[in-house]
Amino acid sequence: MTRRVPVTLSCAAVAAAFLVAGCGSTSAHEGVRSDGGVPAAPMDTSFGNATSTWATVLMGGSAAQHNNFWQLFIRPAGTSTWKLVTPPGTADNGGLVLAAGAGPAAISAFRPSQDLTFTPLIQTSDGGQAWSALSPLEAPLASTPAALAVGPAGSLHVLALTTSSTAEQASLTAGKWTTLASARTLAATPAGRQCGLRALTATGYLPSGAPLLAGECSHSGVAGIFADQDGSWQAAGPALPPSLASQDLTVLRLVTVGNQTVALLQAGKGQAASLLVAWSAAAAGHWTISPPLALHGATVTSASFGPTGAVAAITADGAAAEIVSSAGPWHRLPALPPGTATLALNGSASDALAVHRSTLTVWQLATGGQAWTRAQEINVPIEYGSSS
Amino acid sequence: MPGMNSGVNVSDPTVVAAFRSTLLHQGLIALLIFVVLGLAWLGLRELLPAAVRSAARGPVAMSAEPSWRVVLRVGFGILWIFDGILQAQPKMAVGLPSQVIEPIAATSPHWVQGLVNWAGTAWSYHPLQAGAAAVWIQLGLGIWLLTAARGPLSRLAGVVSVGWGLVVWGFGESFGGIFAPGFTWLFGAPGAVLLYAIAGGLIALPESAWRSRSLRDLLLPGVGVFLIGMAVLQAWPGRGFWQGTTNGKPGTLAGMTTSMAPTPQPHLLSSWITAFTGFDEAHGFAVNLFVVVALALIGVVFLSGRPRLIRPALIAFVVLCLADWVLIEDFGFFGGLGTDPNSMIPFILFATAGYLALISLPEPAEERAEVAATAPAGPAGWRKRLRAMLEPASLASARVSSVAALGAVGVIVLGAVPMAAAQASPVADTILAQAVDGSDAPLNFAASAFRLTDQNGQQVTLASLHGKVVLLTFLDPVCTSDCPLIAQEFKQAGQLLKGDARRVELVAIVANPVDYQLAYTQAFDRQEGLDGVRNWLYLTGSLPNLQRVWREYGIAADIEPAGAMIGHTEVTFAIDQQGRVRYEMNFDPGPGTAATESSFAAELSDTVQQLLGQS
Repeated sequence: MTRRVPVTLSCAAVAAAFLVAGCGSTSAHEGVRSDGGVPAAPMDTSFGNATSTWATVLMGGSAAQHNNFWQLFIRPAGTSTWKLVTPPGTADNGGLVLAAGAGPAAISAFRPSQDLTFTPLIQTSDGGQAWSALSPLEAPLASTPAALAVGPAGSLHVLALTTSSTAEQASLTAGKWTTLASARTLAATPAGRQCGLRALTATGYLPSGAPLLAGECSHSGVAGIFADQDGSWQAAGPALPPSLASQDLTVLRLVTVGNQTVALLQAGKGQAASLLVAWSAAAAGHWTISPPLALHGATVTSASFGPTGAVAAITADGAAAEIVSSAGPWHRLPALPPGTATLALNGSASDALAVHRSTLTVWQLATGGQAWTRAQEINVPIEYGSSS
Repeated sequence: MPGMNSGVNVSDPTVVAAFRSTLLHQGLIALLIFVVLGLAWLGLRELLPAAVRSAARGPVAMSAEPSWRVVLRVGFGILWIFDGILQAQPKMAVGLPSQVIEPIAATSPHWVQGLVNWAGTAWSYHPLQAGAAAVWIQLGLGIWLLTAARGPLSRLAGVVSVGWGLVVWGFGESFGGIFAPGFTWLFGAPGAVLLYAIAGGLIALPESAWRSRSLRDLLLPGVGVFLIGMAVLQAWPGRGFWQGTTNGKPGTLAGMTTSMAPTPQPHLLSSWITAFTGFDEAHGFAVNLFVVVALALIGVVFLSGRPRLIRPALIAFVVLCLADWVLIEDFGFFGGLGTDPNSMIPFILFATAGYLALISLPEPAEERAEVAATAPAGPAGWRKRLRAMLEPASLASARVSSVAALGAVGVIVLGAVPMAAAQASPVADTILAQAVDGSDAPLNFAASAFRLTDQNGQQVTLASLHGKVVLLTFLDPVCTSDCPLIAQEFKQAGQLLKGDARRVELVAIVANPVDYQLAYTQAFDRQEGLDGVRNWLYLTGSLPNLQRVWREYGIAADIEPAGAMIGHTEVTFAIDQQGRVRYEMNFDPGPGTAATESSFAAELSDTVQQLLGQS
């Protein structure tokens, strides 16, 4: 026997269901990415500090991913010679992510590949001469050079962003990883809601040692940078000029150089996208912002950071530009040598690191120069087939 | 399709030698079956008086087997034998799933691929048994059809032919590609083995049906309707047959023949196919028009039922089939691993049988009645006749051909039973592991002692493991390829050992001079799901301690430059309950497929069982 439900009651139930659904959910536009993951970013990069410049590039040139290996090079400050210092112990076909502090110490993470699912970590305190293992992160590290950050000298902390958009922190001495936040938990905070956080994209530390997380905001004109202030996440991004108020912003990189934090941001999408750099001296909240660099629809394939806060970017159309500080404009660099994977910046010159299979060629450009000159060639003993 | 490829080379000498050896052994048994049956038959004939034998034979009132049935029975019998011989090709044991079944299934829908993958996996897990089964079942079927001309044995051969034909058609030919795009008579649709099965079905019909006018009237028109259908399909636009080339690339037909031409075959054949390809590329429309018209016309004539018209149409059809067989199907078995001569010869047999059925004269009514009277009807009749056949007097009175047919049944059983038994095993044959790494090396010396730390931080010595069989290997916890596979092989071996697992320790020692800390063995265990395995120990220690153990067990663990993983020896030692090394096994997991992984697990499990059995 069935009982007929009154029409008015049915309508009320349907209306209530809609109401409840509306209260309890966010729209797809504003929610955290449905796959919950961190967007992948190009991994070729370089970073300079007072003692050295580090660069990671992909070499091998094989169609098979397991035959291409990431290599780490270092150029000590005051020299013009690069050295191969790829960390040992783990196959690095999945990606090598480096986090360097102020001195010659650095931590490198091997992104898992093939059947490895966790992330081995290794550290050096002498510019890559000797390496020792750190406790592994038992999750795959996100595929971006911004997925790993090391605390400023003395903090002994490392911050990692996993592919599932979770930020994990470990003490270098204890080696135990604890979850700091995830895209979902951060999106639920007042700062996260203000940004309409879609995904986490970068990690970093303030010079004070406070962890920083950054991401992609769905609310226009908001730069999603968040600082952990005594256990609560606060908005720490720059206030953007009115000209960018209608643009969606994504933080591509967060880097601590000396006493300042440098953020690389993309404003807008597609043909309207542009690149911005924001510098924050000493503490968050006081940012200066570069003029925008129009990308003309091209994506950034490599970003490089110099020891004094200079930033350079290469785009997929082969163009490259550099900016030294917010006081100056972007400089378009001369046509890059073929195979340039990344740039490396120092005060007086820029290096272009060009890759052809297992050969790295270093090209140099003097400040204000118009032509690249070949400076060095390194043949890397890649063991093809060793990861099969 | 994951299960199709065991990863072992199709020409692997270990598997090829083992396959040959299996065929030789089973071949001798097959011979023995015929000899024993022959001797038993001769013995019974000697023992039983002629009168008893002739009484057992009963009234012989059968008329001659109709010519159309002879064509089907003998023709398809020969084809089965030919197919059986093709199955004996050395590469067939490993190659059939990946080189025959998988390419055929590639364009079929997912559900077909899933079904085919299941069968391909079963084959790739047991390549010797499956390969030999296909040989003996098909040879047996062929001999059975050829030798059993009449009676229940002959009809039963038809039934078995239907069954095996459908198995091969479904799992081996992906239903002849009828669910895939590009389905065409020219390439062999609806699958050669479906025709074998249909022929088997006709052979299985009772004698009363052989002589029925309606069956004889249906055979050739049936072929005719099929050809008309194929003509419509061939004419269907948008399938690429009307174009010789499309955007500079060969059309569907030329694309097929282009891929056939370079396969290994006599130069003359290859040049014919290349010439035809060029002709089709230049005159694609004309070629397809000719095919469409020819199929439609022949089909219509076959439907007409008029022998005078049918005779030239039959000749034309035979010529068309032969041309297709040579120029498009490349004889069906050249190039790669051919399993049958494709569909054109079966089509010729069907059309010929249909023609013979049509022109055969009707039998006298009294003869039909007599045949019907001597044949008990229904299942009870079958049972009665089979029981009668197996009586000594009946056996003694049987013809040589009937004895040969019985021998053929034995040959089929000889192939099918080992395959069925192998299927009952959840793991792959150890031949795959042997193909990858060779056989175990038997040894007998005291294993070097060690004191290391397990994944839980507890001290473990070799002495503390005495009384148990120890499988000892060396694994890099951050290895991206082989070590996770080896760990899974150990885990699976532990599962295979079931109750005996408590008498076994599965032990790995870290083989990485950089990442050897406890946190790495623990992370590796969690990654591989080994953290809950009771008899699993992953041991580590200080670097000097590890280096001493590596040295004593002959293990290299070298840091490789430029982002490569640690290079280390892949070996497993089987240590008996007294702490003596009894076997050293190369343990490179090879291709790391599910089949090889399972095979290595079976090898480990067998070795443990052997050592436990010796205690």
